[in-house]
Amino acid sequence: MSEPLLRISDLKTHFQTKGAGLFGEKKVIKAVDGVSFDIAPGEVLSLVGESGCGKSTVGRTLTHLEKATSGTAQFEGQDFLAMAPAEFRPLRREIQMIFQDPFASLNPRLKIEQTLGEPLFIHGLCKTWDEARIMIAAILETVGMDPIVMTRHPHEFSGGQRQRIGIARVMILKPKLVIADEAVSALDVSIQAQVLNLIKKLQRDSGVSMLFISHDLGVVRHISDRVAVMFEGRIVEIGDKHQIFETPQHAYTRKLLGSIPRVTIGREVA
Amino acid sequence: MTASTRGSKTTLRGSDHMALLEVENLEIAVSARGKLLPVVQGISFSVDDNETLGIVGESGCGKSLTSLAIMGLLGGTTVRITGGSIRFDGMDLLTLPEKDRRAIMGNRMAMIFQEPMTSLNPVYRIGDQIIENLRQHQSISNSAARDRVVELLTLVRIPSPSERIDSFPHQMSGGQRQRVMIAMALSCDPKLLIADEPTTALDVTVQKEVLDLMADLQKRMGTAIVLISHDLGVIAETCDKVAVMYRGRMAEAASTADLFAELAHPYTRGLLNSIPVVDRDVEWLEAIPGRVPTLEENLTGCAFHPRCALATELCASNVPATTEFKPGHSVQCHFAGKVAS
Amino acid sequence: MNAMNFLRNAFAGRKLATAGFIWLCLIALAAIIAPLIAPFDPLEIDPVGRLAEPGWPNLFGTDHFGRDTFSRAIYGARMTVIIGMGSVIVALVAGGAIGMLSAYFTRLGHFLMRGVDVLMAFPALLMALVLITLLERSVFNTILVIGIVYATTTARILYGMTLKLKGEVFVDAAICSGAGHTSILIRHILPNLVSPLLVQASFIFAFAQLQAAALDFLGLGLPPEVPSWGNMLSEERIYITRAPWLLIYPGMLIVLSVFSMNLVGDALRDSIDPRFKDDIAGV
Repeated sequence: MSEPLLRISDLKTHFQTKGAGLFGEKKVIKAVDGVSFDIAPGEVLSLVGESGCGKSTVGRTLTHLEKATSGTAQFEGQDFLAMAPAEFRPLRREIQMIFQDPFASLNPRLKIEQTLGEPLFIHGLCKTWDEARIMIAAILETVGMDPIVMTRHPHEFSGGQRQRIGIARVMILKPKLVIADEAVSALDVSIQAQVLNLIKKLQRDSGVSMLFISHDLGVVRHISDRVAVMFEGRIVEIGDKHQIFETPQHAYTRKLLGSIPRVTIGREVA
Repeated sequence: MTASTRGSKTTLRGSDHMALLEVENLEIAVSARGKLLPVVQGISFSVDDNETLGIVGESGCGKSLTSLAIMGLLGGTTVRITGGSIRFDGMDLLTLPEKDRRAIMGNRMAMIFQEPMTSLNPVYRIGDQIIENLRQHQSISNSAARDRVVELLTLVRIPSPSERIDSFPHQMSGGQRQRVMIAMALSCDPKLLIADEPTTALDVTVQKEVLDLMADLQKRMGTAIVLISHDLGVIAETCDKVAVMYRGRMAEAASTADLFAELAHPYTRGLLNSIPVVDRDVEWLEAIPGRVPTLEENLTGCAFHPRCALATELCASNVPATTEFKPGHSVQCHFAGKVAS
Repeated sequence: MNAMNFLRNAFAGRKLATAGFIWLCLIALAAIIAPLIAPFDPLEIDPVGRLAEPGWPNLFGTDHFGRDTFSRAIYGARMTVIIGMGSVIVALVAGGAIGMLSAYFTRLGHFLMRGVDVLMAFPALLMALVLITLLERSVFNTILVIGIVYATTTARILYGMTLKLKGEVFVDAAICSGAGHTSILIRHILPNLVSPLLVQASFIFAFAQLQAAALDFLGLGLPPEVPSWGNMLSEERIYITRAPWLLIYPGMLIVLSVFSMNLVGDALRDSIDPRFKDDIAGV
């Protein structure tokens, strides 16, 4: 039994809201309230749930974009939630994130090569711009784009193309864990299919582990090995993909699956 | 929930029967940087009482602009209707004087939008907003209006309606706000309801409730509904007829049953195959290659040909005419019905 | 280059703003080549020819010391440019740094921005007066004082914009890439602040003139021997009935220049709006 790549134990991320007025009561929003799971090397675990269930917060906590309130998270056996920024930096190469909004996730002022080159220089993967450009060209081809695009700016590209660039930014570092936060939710259906296929192929080819966060059960079915269903900050059911989709145990999972509108072609359910 | 019950109500277009809403050869253009760019290029469809028409398409197809055109919300100089006609209950909406237009809007024709938070005014109570709509079109006292609003809120299944009537939009959840929008839209018993992506911003469980509600209301009040969505599943489960739009043209139109029994246009087929389904494992999705051309990209021939597996030189040079693939099932494709080998 | 496109787009179709821009270029040119085009030495006194009417050879007449007003006006352009640019630099650097860093480092920000709030409670002129009385009259101090006055509004504006930029997704993405604070500030935040800074610069340039003129008028700004339009107004005001041209010409120059700068600032600011939304992250 190999060690899991990622092990989360009882993760909690709570937010304090400012009370109304001078003496108003401060409310605590328990966005993530006791979440535990493992991800093995090369495995894709999906976190699925509706808005407000805390799935995005889990992803953001793991990348230190939000501060965990309590609990532990271990990457290759190393506790990383409480690490200081400088200490955590080398781990950032291994734990990467794909963001939801293709239009907001790329700095509009920078050329694509600058955006893709930034992580290379930060982690010392190359010393000169010539070296960087070689690596950038390679990754752009891997995600299905012409290397010439590196000299252009984000606004010249469509949503699907920008998302490919976002994926390139993540994969150029060859991370061990990729957190995809609603990575295809903002894309049109036909583009979504292209990008999903790309993500699946990249994951298979590179053996990277993924924490795939989504509200779309169809997408989750397509991409995952295991699925965790979240509701109000907690995981209500977790298991193998087929277990969850074919024999859901928890009432909420069943409710979710039952609410999805389906297309019937002819007489058979699609 | 199955879709097989839907689609049995098809409008029989007798030569003398006028549907409630008839759109013919509608053309809409956008003026950008001094040029007039066509966005919607000649689409035709109709909806009748007690019927739901689904308009499905992705971004850039022009479906939202179409709905705004019907409601008369295409103001200003940048977006203009450049051709075609829209007839509602026999009246030509495009030549109707402004005053008569306003008498219909919100009254006999109503619209609900995608983002319930931005379509409700955040500084007014929801009850007051519905009352405003009521009193705009009917001479009704304030207390009578209030009673009617409570009635409406009950109809849309908002719990404790007599208290909720005084809530502000931000005090309600997304699903509840959308129900308030539906209540406002239905307040004057409209004959036609246009719903532009009404459930896209909602969770899937809430979406189911809202769609069930709309179907139930249609049964009770006989309203005609135009439902615009990018979600084929939603369309399949709620609509009687479907119109598939691609880059300003009507790729395919048929009753729901007919459409899903045999998809004639390669785009529709591609769209369906792109959807990752919940009930089955698929190794690789059959994605449609390429992307929707931008407004400025001038195309000859069929708008879909650069992405189509069946495309030939004919497709690149000739815009396909609308043909009757089967009775009641129209397509715009030179190779309608052919499947790529 | 982005800046050139930005400027070109800003002035397209705006005749007044373009005219204003040309006027400012003339002023700048006059400032640079002043010794070449000024017919007389601005400091040269000619008691005999004092208060002469505009004509030849004194195009704008002479003042009460017999100095040629036209030449003084040309040399005054130098002060206009120097005070304008100097104040802009002080305001943008000090105000920009305070605003940007306060927004980025929130704990520091709470403290610093309260200080800025206090300073902003004072009317600009009042604050300038207080500061200048603490320092001796000189060009440098005038620039410093005016710059500090406008550093407050600049800080406030950049504070708001940086706060917004800080929350942008691409900043999150940069953090996830491992970028540190300096890197994020320089690569991601600062470039998106350039355009609003440019707009601020043009407005400060304009207001600086008015402040300087007001200070000069009150006898508190530039030392009396330095020719500036404000000084000219100040020194000649008692001759308003006898030699009104001594006030009309510098006054007109001030009005035209401030007006031009405002027009240019407006044009720049308008061109930042939606059309450039792709260019500048939502700012």
